[in-house]
Amino acid sequence: MTIPADLKYTKDHEWVRIDGDIATFGISDHAQEALGDIVFVELPEIGRTIDAGEAYAVVESVKAVSDVYAPAAGEVIEVNEELEGEPEKVNSDAYGAGWIAKVKMSGATLELMSDDEYNTFLEE
Amino acid sequence: MNDLSKTPIFDEHVNLGGKMVPFAGFEMPVQYKNGALKEYTFVREGGAGIFDITHMGQVRVSGSEALPFLQYVTTNDVSKLVEGQVHYSALLNESGTFIDDITTYKISDSEYYLCINAANRLKDVAHLNGEAKAFEVNVSDESDDTTLLALQGAAAQAALQLLVDTDLEKIGYYKFAQLKVAGANAIVSRTGYTGEDGFEIYIPNAIAVDVWKQLLANGAEPIGLAARDMLRTEMGYALYGHEISDQVTPVEAKLMWITKLDKGDFIGKAAVEARRSEGPKQRLIAIKLTCRGIPREHYKVFAGGIETGEITSGMFSPMAGGVALAYVKPEDAEAGELSVEIRGKAVSAERTTLPFVRSNVRR
Repeated sequence: MTIPADLKYTKDHEWVRIDGDIATFGISDHAQEALGDIVFVELPEIGRTIDAGEAYAVVESVKAVSDVYAPAAGEVIEVNEELEGEPEKVNSDAYGAGWIAKVKMSGATLELMSDDEYNTFLEE
Repeated sequence: MNDLSKTPIFDEHVNLGGKMVPFAGFEMPVQYKNGALKEYTFVREGGAGIFDITHMGQVRVSGSEALPFLQYVTTNDVSKLVEGQVHYSALLNESGTFIDDITTYKISDSEYYLCINAANRLKDVAHLNGEAKAFEVNVSDESDDTTLLALQGAAAQAALQLLVDTDLEKIGYYKFAQLKVAGANAIVSRTGYTGEDGFEIYIPNAIAVDVWKQLLANGAEPIGLAARDMLRTEMGYALYGHEISDQVTPVEAKLMWITKLDKGDFIGKAAVEARRSEGPKQRLIAIKLTCRGIPREHYKVFAGGIETGEITSGMFSPMAGGVALAYVKPEDAEAGELSVEIRGKAVSAERTTLPFVRSNVRR
């Protein structure tokens, strides 16, 4: 799958779309592929303040429970409630319908990579 | 990973997109390219799933005292087996706890065949050899020469029938036949670990890849360890290292139905009798979450808000939701108000009955 050029990526295989001071988070296609079938997503509560790098959500595959780390600090303003009923959207559309949360950014971010940099990172 | 064994099917797994993981000393496929959920669904919804379970061990027991030997070292009543019949059984320590759970096949009055767990193989074989010294019996570990395939699901019989010269319809549940598969001697039993109709097929390594490919050509699809664990957990089948171990007796594990106290002496009998009269230290129960969440192994279980035990196997069941087996204090086994701690939060649960989903085995 091509890695979208309009997103930024972390070394933990999360993606972030930054639009003004609003950031949308998800996990990369590489991450969902490695995890296998996602059967449960635990979403953060709206209003929660998270730090960059903090575990803000949990995805569970058939066999494993994995924390999802925030690419940027901020306050959670929206979560993808559709994942409660259809967690498989993280597998089928990791960069689109599989988004996890939106935050109002407060400044700090993890080290973020462009699509090209992330592609190189994956190949290393 | 260098010291891990490979089954004769290894290259086929890799070619089919198998994600190989260490398991009981082997490199085994946890899933193939379509993923565990699709594999699970294929088996539950009428397909023929093929599982490489060659990691499991096989021991042939022969000799004039094979019967008294097996009566002494296993828990079930071997005298009740007829030729061509299999039963579920166990090896216990003197303390009444499990060395392993096994299946015993009766080939003849003087020859039996045991299927044992991979992780316990060396321990089992050492134990059997030690006890065999007091009997006219030969114990032969044939694990390295034997490939074991399980073919499970409603379409299993049709997929296998094309490879064998015997009418599989004649093999009943927990019965087996010695027959030719792809021209080689094989044991085929109508047994399994999924709750579906199907077979377990013991063949020489030399024909393993040939049989594997023929079964795939007949419509079977490969199933990995992850789906296998889903299928067995939905049935509530015990797995060594989870529901049974050297820390529990058949009294706790709800396996008194394979522990025949009236058959004469056997290793662990006195301890099991004592435990039965004093009562189990914990009890195995089946629970189902009543809210969203996935109960997993080692998660704590609470009754009335007080910790009472922990989960031994838990899963997300596409058919039944969040379900688990758990050991709890005996006095809480009938408790109404149960919960499971998931990431620090109490998620409510209720007792339920096994199997978690309907079994389709052919009785």
